[in-house]
Amino acid sequence: MLAVAVVFLSPAVLMVFTAFKSPDEVLNPSSAIPHHWTLENFARTLKYSEEAPFAQWLLNSMLISTSVTFLVLFVSSLTAFAIARLKIKGSGKILAVIVASMMIPGQLFLIPVYLMLGWFHWLDTPLALIVPATAGGFGVFMLTQFMRSIPPSLEEAALIDGCSLWGVYSQICLPLCTPALATLGIFTFIGSWNDFLGPLVFMDSVRNYTLPVGIALYQSSYFTEYGKTLATSVLGTAPLVIVYCIFQKRIISSMATTGLKD
Amino acid sequence: MSFLVFIVCPILFAAALAFTQLDLTSREHLHFVGLDNFREALKDPYFIQATKVTCVYAIMIVPAFVVLSFGLALGLQAMTFGRNAVRGLIFLPGMFNVVVASIIWRWFYDGEFGFFNYLLKRVGIMPIHWLGEKTLALPSIVVMSLWWGLGGATIILLAALQQIPTHLYEAAMIDGATSRRLLTNITIPQMRHVLLFIVVTSTIGAFQVFGQTFMMTNGGPDRSTTGLVQLIYDTAFNKYRLGYAAALSWLLFAMILVVIIVQALLLRRSID
Repeated sequence: MLAVAVVFLSPAVLMVFTAFKSPDEVLNPSSAIPHHWTLENFARTLKYSEEAPFAQWLLNSMLISTSVTFLVLFVSSLTAFAIARLKIKGSGKILAVIVASMMIPGQLFLIPVYLMLGWFHWLDTPLALIVPATAGGFGVFMLTQFMRSIPPSLEEAALIDGCSLWGVYSQICLPLCTPALATLGIFTFIGSWNDFLGPLVFMDSVRNYTLPVGIALYQSSYFTEYGKTLATSVLGTAPLVIVYCIFQKRIISSMATTGLKD
Repeated sequence: MSFLVFIVCPILFAAALAFTQLDLTSREHLHFVGLDNFREALKDPYFIQATKVTCVYAIMIVPAFVVLSFGLALGLQAMTFGRNAVRGLIFLPGMFNVVVASIIWRWFYDGEFGFFNYLLKRVGIMPIHWLGEKTLALPSIVVMSLWWGLGGATIILLAALQQIPTHLYEAAMIDGATSRRLLTNITIPQMRHVLLFIVVTSTIGAFQVFGQTFMMTNGGPDRSTTGLVQLIYDTAFNKYRLGYAAALSWLLFAMILVVIIVQALLLRRSID
């Protein structure tokens, strides 16, 4: 199994090592570990240029993924609260429709959403990537399940003491849901950060790209400059790998339970 | 609210679009063409080719995916120490963006400077253009996708393995069962629902393959890696034939539905 782990890890390690090599050494490798460690590739990546504003892409990705994450948490938890706690007629049916919508492949939405964003004049703005992303059904489904597992007595007591519904939601329900919210938040952030088809289709001008699309289009013009491309990749992946290292336990344990639900 | 606007509306809208002609390049206005888009698709050699590529890709990757992730989970289960570290490493590639993962592997596969050819050169074999050969390109992408995607399924399967009550194994061992019989008579039957879940989800994923082919071969050589999503993307956003592309998306959705229903029925029958 250790050998397996090495196989899984080695592409990433080779990527990092090669990013530190000089262009000559990239093309004529004599060993995996660089002879002369150099930051040249990184420096060239980070240097501002019109065709590849790397820092701008990083900023776009940060802005979009963070907004999507907070909006998804807010919208999903509010919807889940309404479904799980307010005794609205037909809320069960609403949940069923939301869950059913999760089965539909994302590509089906691509063209209609593209046209709608065009009508709203949102294409090529961050809104095109932020607003549609809040409509996912997964968060609502997950949080509704979680809220139903919390006994409602605490919230009822607060209501009797004169707490408003908004107060119950924000002061009691949300804090109790912290574990579920954290999981949803992490997965939403990763999903948004790694989204490729959305920004590829909805974004037009180079400075509005997110990191993945930026890297993708940039590397197609610097095809064989592997040192530079790999340095860009390392920088583009680093934020997520950091997130992964910090939240590894939570990410893996919530991955593990996805298969057990059914 | 946003659910209504960005889920329900697009579905209805997509349904309507599939029956219209909407070309952003022509001056003709959007108009209703009935089933023409679907009729065209069934005769379209590109569509037939892309369907074949997608099916071949799914047939190659799904069995390998299920067997390997199950094998990895069994291997992890058998580990006495370091299990969590290895599990973490196997899942790490899943954190990588499809773009980054593709870049790494395109570099590996490169005909001149690639890592694999470097190794081949060392042992005196002529370099191979992994992604440039019609027969090799798709399998090469399968290998890369396995590296990229196995971690998640392995974690799910490992968790399911750990749920199997140990007294089942103890009882069987007292009765003198071999480890092979333990696997076929206890482990696999106990895991059948999770395995079905992995089969179905990996099939859905395989039918939606796009990022890897877009990044590594852009559908080539000679359309040998152009799957359905790539065709839909090209049709909609390079040829601007949005109505036709919408019809193709519905056909893809229908195919996925049919395949997973058939899978579920077949596997259900064989396991119950």
